[in-house]
Amino acid sequence: MSDPPILELRKVDKHYVGTYALKQVELAFRPGEIHAIVGENGAGKSTLIKILTGAIPRSSGIIRWRGQQVALATPLEAMAHGIDAVHQEVLLCPHLTVAANIFLGNEHTRFGLLRHRAMVRAAQRVLDELGFRLPAGALLSELTIGQQQLVATARAATRGTQFLIFDEPTAYLTRQETDQLFRLIRRLHQQGVTIVYISHRLEEIFQLAERVSVLRDGALVATREVAATTERELIRDMVARNIEEIHYKENIPRGAPLLEVEALSGPGFADVSLAVHAGEVVGLYGLVGAGRSEFVHAVFGRTRATAGRIRFKGAELRGHDERIAIARGIALVPESRRDQGLCLNLGVGFNLNLPVFQRISPGGLVDAGAERRSAAKQIADLRIVAASQGALAATLSGGNQQKIVIGKWLNHGADLFIFDEPTAGVDVGTKLDIYKLFAALLRRGAGIILISSYLPEVYDLSDRLHVFRRGRLVASHDAGTADAETILSEAIGV
Amino acid sequence: MSEQAAPGIVAAAAATQRRMRFGFLLNLTLLGLLLLMWLLLTLSTDSFATYGNLSNLARQASLFAILAIGQTFVIITAGIDLSVGAMVGLATTIVAVLLTSGWSIPVSVTATIAVGLAVGWVHGFGIVQLRLPPFIMTLATMTALRGIGLLVTGGQTIGGMPLAFGRFSRESVLGIPDLFLAVIVVAVPSYVLLHHTRWGRYLYAVGSNREAARLSGVKVNRTIYLAYILSAGLAALVGVLTASRIGIGVATTGEGWELQAIASSVIGGASLFGAVGSVAGPLLGSVLLTTINNGANLLNVNPFWQRIITGGLIILIVYFDQLRRSRRA
Repeated sequence: MSDPPILELRKVDKHYVGTYALKQVELAFRPGEIHAIVGENGAGKSTLIKILTGAIPRSSGIIRWRGQQVALATPLEAMAHGIDAVHQEVLLCPHLTVAANIFLGNEHTRFGLLRHRAMVRAAQRVLDELGFRLPAGALLSELTIGQQQLVATARAATRGTQFLIFDEPTAYLTRQETDQLFRLIRRLHQQGVTIVYISHRLEEIFQLAERVSVLRDGALVATREVAATTERELIRDMVARNIEEIHYKENIPRGAPLLEVEALSGPGFADVSLAVHAGEVVGLYGLVGAGRSEFVHAVFGRTRATAGRIRFKGAELRGHDERIAIARGIALVPESRRDQGLCLNLGVGFNLNLPVFQRISPGGLVDAGAERRSAAKQIADLRIVAASQGALAATLSGGNQQKIVIGKWLNHGADLFIFDEPTAGVDVGTKLDIYKLFAALLRRGAGIILISSYLPEVYDLSDRLHVFRRGRLVASHDAGTADAETILSEAIGV
Repeated sequence: MSEQAAPGIVAAAAATQRRMRFGFLLNLTLLGLLLLMWLLLTLSTDSFATYGNLSNLARQASLFAILAIGQTFVIITAGIDLSVGAMVGLATTIVAVLLTSGWSIPVSVTATIAVGLAVGWVHGFGIVQLRLPPFIMTLATMTALRGIGLLVTGGQTIGGMPLAFGRFSRESVLGIPDLFLAVIVVAVPSYVLLHHTRWGRYLYAVGSNREAARLSGVKVNRTIYLAYILSAGLAALVGVLTASRIGIGVATTGEGWELQAIASSVIGGASLFGAVGSVAGPLLGSVLLTTINNGANLLNVNPFWQRIITGGLIILIVYFDQLRRSRRA
């Protein structure tokens, strides 16, 4: 306890033109502790990580590493001190192998030549030791996001890292991958590595961390001992909202059937039957790779089903593609909104209108007035926070980006919304907004398919919950008829 | 628990192996196509399979091959170098001016290549420090370098270089043209650099995910400098070899060669999105392109048609490559 801090921040500021990302932050990390940092999106967590890893320079303030003032001007300098990070959106090279990524920037060479085999062997040894069961020779792009996250962690572990920051590492991980990651974190902790753990999932913080610091609007609110605090207190620090409100749900009467799927099979799933009615949320729970995304892709027409029937609003959908699905009123809000949902370097208004340009371009010419009105309506309805319609989608927070993706399809007037991990990496306040949006959709008579790997979320929000395991639908429950442990064990298959 | 993950992982490993085989197969397919063309040309013309024609083909292909290897370094970083043709032209004039002003061959050649390296450095400066897109930076130097060449020579053709200088491009060792040996001298170190040194790794890493590379401690800027310096340096070397071959220095030499180099690289499997490319690819690609031109000449195909056919073939070959890639994904 009386150890001097391993890393200390004094009055650290980061400002961009007109705004502060960090304000006078004072933080001290004790050697060997697991220190959690929580805060809503935009609270400054990412900025803090970037400054500590040398990815961006701070505007002012002092940082001491083991008592010495340091500049932390480049990633190389941070790494030389033993400071490294595992990022939420995996920052590795998809075209290189697992081994090449693990040793990137740190290659083993002899006479200037790479020692390929030695590196693959060393990487494999690390992966095996950590219990990952990943082939070191595989290309990174062939792994799931969860596996890539494990590679990123293994990479940090091989570099003699003394201070390791995890930024939302479990956002895209399955339960099983999360367990693996936690075992690894505890192991690094035992080896004396100081760990900074950032997550929106508060229960993880109570499992792992010793102390927790809360950031709000770029400033430090408090640092607390985990043993002496509660989720309620942390959430109050973060947002001053009640925890009960978070999984927001309204009682909306169930309407006519929208989607009926009978014995559908396709790539990655087999023999799935389920129905979605107007006004209900149908949750699909399972581990990553259980076939949930594959199933909805077939419903959406992205892949072809090989057997079975799909009826949508009473009419058969067969051999359809995405365009037909969209025209009939099915919307898919994809898992990776940055890659699949948005044109990041185009404006908010442009993104919102993308599916409806046909409607607002009579005779091929875009009607600028209609374009503006259509975007303005969604921005107001969804409470999208953007400087203007022309603000680039890339400049918005994750939650606001998610709202744009949803707004796109609202604009288009879809009836069935498929959400694939809609709240991954989204802060508590935005989550609430997204759930309220669900309610608004349901009130309009839409149906929702919700895919989530976060059990409390699907559990609380679904009117009917289906559990997938290895490509099959293994169990179905009405809201509140099964407990969470049952559902989890059905998904894992124990 | 880990057993559940196993099938996916085995699949990933198998896919990786498949991918490697595909890379190999692509080269085999290109090689097969090349051999088929050679066979057809041998059967349909009297002049193709003669020593004179083949060594001529090898000489021309060699120039493109060296250019294309340099281009491949740049393409792997997800960049492009449009200035290599202009660099060839400028290099022919520089080496010719130096030689005719009485400098020795080694000094003239070294100085010319040094100019090439400097041009590459300027590209790096523009792309890294001034943050210009590579396309724009090298498009600008593409026209500027031609201008410099024309200015230096007053638009004149520089002749009268020492006989010894022209000898290299005409002579052979054991029947193999020296120019072709020059390709090997370039290709082998290039292969080692690309696949067996950390700098090669960094070229791929920068092309694959620049931010990830930077955060891994890769000196991204230096890597980009390296790619453009190599490309321009090799283009200067090609300029020297070309001057030796044609015996004169002309600023307009190498018009359109940048496209030949890019096409060779892409036909050989490099991706303009970066992080995909090899040394064998541009070698095969350049021989293939040269064979098409050579064959069309021998078959008396109208030269205007030759250009159209070359363009069509590039589309066809790269389309088949895309098709195969998407099938494997």
